[in-house]
Amino acid sequence: MKWLDRLEEILITFLIAAATVIIFVAVVHRYVSGWPLGAFQDFLLSIHLSWAQELCIILFVWMAKFGAAYGVRQGIHVGVDVLVNFLSPANRHIITIIALAACILFTGIIAILGAMLVWENGLAYVFLSSFGFETGDHYEGPTTPDLEWPTWIVYLAVPLGSSLMCFRFIQVLVTYLRTGEMPHHDHGHVDGLNDELDESAMGQKS
Amino acid sequence: MSALVIFGLLLILMLTGMPISIALGLTVLTFLFTMTEVPIEAVALKLFTGIEKFEIMAIPFFILAGNFLTHGGVARRMINFASSMVGHWYGGLGLAGVLACALFAAVSGSSPATVVAIGSILLPAMLKAGFPKNFGAGVITTSGALGILIPPSIVMVMYAVATNSSVGALFMAGVVPGLMLAGFLGFTTWYRAKKFDYPRQPKANLETRWKAFRDSIWGLLLIVVVMGGIYTGIFTPTEAAAMSAVYAFIVAVFVYKDMGLKDVPRVLLNSASMSAMLLYIITNAVMFSFILTNEQIPQSMADWMLAQGLNAIVFLLAVNILLLVAGNFMEPSSIVLIFAPILFPMAMKLGIDPIHFGIIMVVNMEVGMCHPPVGLNLYVASGITKMGITELTVAVWPWLLTMLIFLVLVTYVPAISLWFPKLLGVM
Amino acid sequence: ADPITIKFSHVVAPDTPKGKAAEKFKQLAEEKTKGAVKVEVFANSTLYKDKEEMEALQMGAVQMLAPSLAKFGPLGVKEFEAFDLPYIFRNYEDLHKVTQGEVGMGLLTKLEAKGVKGLAYWDNGFKIMSANKPLKTPDDFKGLKMRIQSSKVLEAEMRALGANPQVLPFSETYQALQTGVVDGTENPPSNLLTQKMHEVQKNASVTNHGYLGYAVIANKAFWDKLPEDVRKSLEEAMKESTDYANQIAKEENDKALEAVKASGKTEVYMPTEDETKAMQKALAPVHTEMSERIGKDLITSIYTATGFDPAK
Ligand code: NA
Ligand code: NA
Repeated sequence: MKWLDRLEEILITFLIAAATVIIFVAVVHRYVSGWPLGAFQDFLLSIHLSWAQELCIILFVWMAKFGAAYGVRQGIHVGVDVLVNFLSPANRHIITIIALAACILFTGIIAILGAMLVWENGLAYVFLSSFGFETGDHYEGPTTPDLEWPTWIVYLAVPLGSSLMCFRFIQVLVTYLRTGEMPHHDHGHVDGLNDELDESAMGQKS
Repeated sequence: MSALVIFGLLLILMLTGMPISIALGLTVLTFLFTMTEVPIEAVALKLFTGIEKFEIMAIPFFILAGNFLTHGGVARRMINFASSMVGHWYGGLGLAGVLACALFAAVSGSSPATVVAIGSILLPAMLKAGFPKNFGAGVITTSGALGILIPPSIVMVMYAVATNSSVGALFMAGVVPGLMLAGFLGFTTWYRAKKFDYPRQPKANLETRWKAFRDSIWGLLLIVVVMGGIYTGIFTPTEAAAMSAVYAFIVAVFVYKDMGLKDVPRVLLNSASMSAMLLYIITNAVMFSFILTNEQIPQSMADWMLAQGLNAIVFLLAVNILLLVAGNFMEPSSIVLIFAPILFPMAMKLGIDPIHFGIIMVVNMEVGMCHPPVGLNLYVASGITKMGITELTVAVWPWLLTMLIFLVLVTYVPAISLWFPKLLGVM
Repeated sequence: ADPITIKFSHVVAPDTPKGKAAEKFKQLAEEKTKGAVKVEVFANSTLYKDKEEMEALQMGAVQMLAPSLAKFGPLGVKEFEAFDLPYIFRNYEDLHKVTQGEVGMGLLTKLEAKGVKGLAYWDNGFKIMSANKPLKTPDDFKGLKMRIQSSKVLEAEMRALGANPQVLPFSETYQALQTGVVDGTENPPSNLLTQKMHEVQKNASVTNHGYLGYAVIANKAFWDKLPEDVRKSLEEAMKESTDYANQIAKEENDKALEAVKASGKTEVYMPTEDETKAMQKALAPVHTEMSERIGKDLITSIYTATGFDPAK
């Protein structure tokens, strides 16, 4: 599964970088094209970037869906552990298993609902009509306003992301049952600071 | 009735320790499956469209900018500058801590990040200079909370999203309260340092100060990029966030050169992961507030409250207590996203200004971050100082008390929040 | 029996013409069906937002909506973009020949292929241009950052004027104008006033160059399943609330324009006939440019219905 881990990381890294660059370029374009630069201004005005916001939003929603799955691996999703910490180890063990099972259930259901949404929202029409079947009650779905992409393609983030998330929770549960270990993200940790600490410092929780 | 079911279920699920986002989502699903006729595919739709809003995109951008800054040595330079300015006063390095936190807060959207960025460098230095451990821990834990009050602020973006308020107006409304709280915390620091006669730094000469300023200027300029950009209208808040991410990248990699290009993918990945976690809470909270609306719960709660003859003063007192209690169990983003949709309609009916109400919520979140059992800043500070939570709680009390006094002021004097944005004409 | 519940969701405030008309429909529908139907109106995007309401309607999560006509292009019925064409309607009379005539009704039936039942058109009004400088001739628009709502036609319109179109959500427009993120915008006077945009715009020009309107729509499966008599009563209620909607929209816009003038915060300019001609001339290419997309036949049938001659 190393390839899947890698793919996931590359995808979300790319998405956040691309969104940043796009907005940067769109803002610069908005201002520079307002300057009276003659033919160059006409050239700039002929570049259409009105889709930038829409694309940025789509990239970030995709980043959010796949990043949430990556976050499961990192144990980054915060919960309320006040009560759990009061329990005996045996009870805590049971509650943890129940909680993880609930996470698997939820992300699994969302993956299915998401698939249904994508199907209803245009995939069914595309699928049925391209194989020459009756489309019946299935309609050709809407497109996004600026880029005019079919929304069902855009919404694919929900079933794909949630399936991956479900898979990650299953992995976490299996590991927990085997070893009793859970991934845990230390929200107090900011990397990149370690090298700045003084020799005599007390160090930082790793 | 449905309100009881919804909140009861949410509470039970949250207490199992599962992620808050998933507890919210499961509550919604259970409710929709069993009690309403809303087609459940609407849930999947909301999971996409819930965050399909350009304002929300400020969150990943601010997180990215913040990460470039912590990697880029900006915090260290801000501390040097702050201690060259106020280090020779009573409480020297402590005051420098407050000032450095305020400066860093003006470029970072998060409180824990502020505590870490400033605390992990300054606390060791304070100990070396002879300050007691709990003094330093108290200063940094509470001053770090300025991170969400002084703009930019991720929590403010969350509030704006939950209530359809203007991010820009909220940012401007946070400026005066943020500076004021910094002043209050600084005063407490100075007073206690004077009382116990803690060490002072030698006074820095003009040359040292100028050098420290020059050194930190690239970080300080980010304040101009973000705040100046928003109120001169060069950028929308989200664009300002994106520009600050690009700027912070350039400063970290090409100006200060504290990080290399090879470190960039890791910073991007960590920022994306943190953002995704917050965006996942937002999506599920949006669904949660959708079923509340669908059942008309906030409206009927507001009507009920008016029928009891509650006035604004009592209401705000109740809100403060409720939020402080909630701050015992949950982190700020979830609190704001869950409670704002419920409390906001009530506040509107009582004629409370939406922006003022937002600042009240943010200050409450700040206090909540500094007290146990759940107080992110406390945990962060405990990580840095290796002090226990109980010991830390005792250490922060003078500053926590200061914050509570400030909370009362902000709650009942709307002008503190509203004067500045009104002056600028953004509301 | 339990009443049939209709959730009617829209994205504007309850005290706008559309908001009031929705309430009017609720009242009339409940009266005429003698309580057999219960209408719950959700204003201000409290239930579904701009971007999701169409999907929600298609899947039956909400029964009625009144989206702006620009929303039907993305749904796949690009013909509706004809309503955005600059200067295609000279006045309300022209407009109603289309929206209340055969051409308009024909357009509504096109929605049925998408699972949507079109019920009526509700006016908002004719748009005027605003900015922080006088906008008399097309040259005045050169390089201006003009806020538009997402629409290919409006984008082409602003480009034809040499402006730089910026797509921004309606809710962010005031602040963007106030701070100068954008220089100007186009709106019916009532939007200009209620969003306080006139406070942050120095000049407005009553160009009446474009139309802004809504279509009231329902989920088709839901609508077709209604008992015959209930559907009849609802259609009557819709007819009456449409008259009401159009009447108050016009009144509201006239009043708003006067209020903007009276406020003294925006200088309101009435273009001369020559200036209007120059604008029409500059914008005429938009009709040709968009005709592929929208459909030549439809555009021609609108010209025929209104007696509009693009050559003039
Ligand atoms: Na901040
Ligand atoms: Na707390």
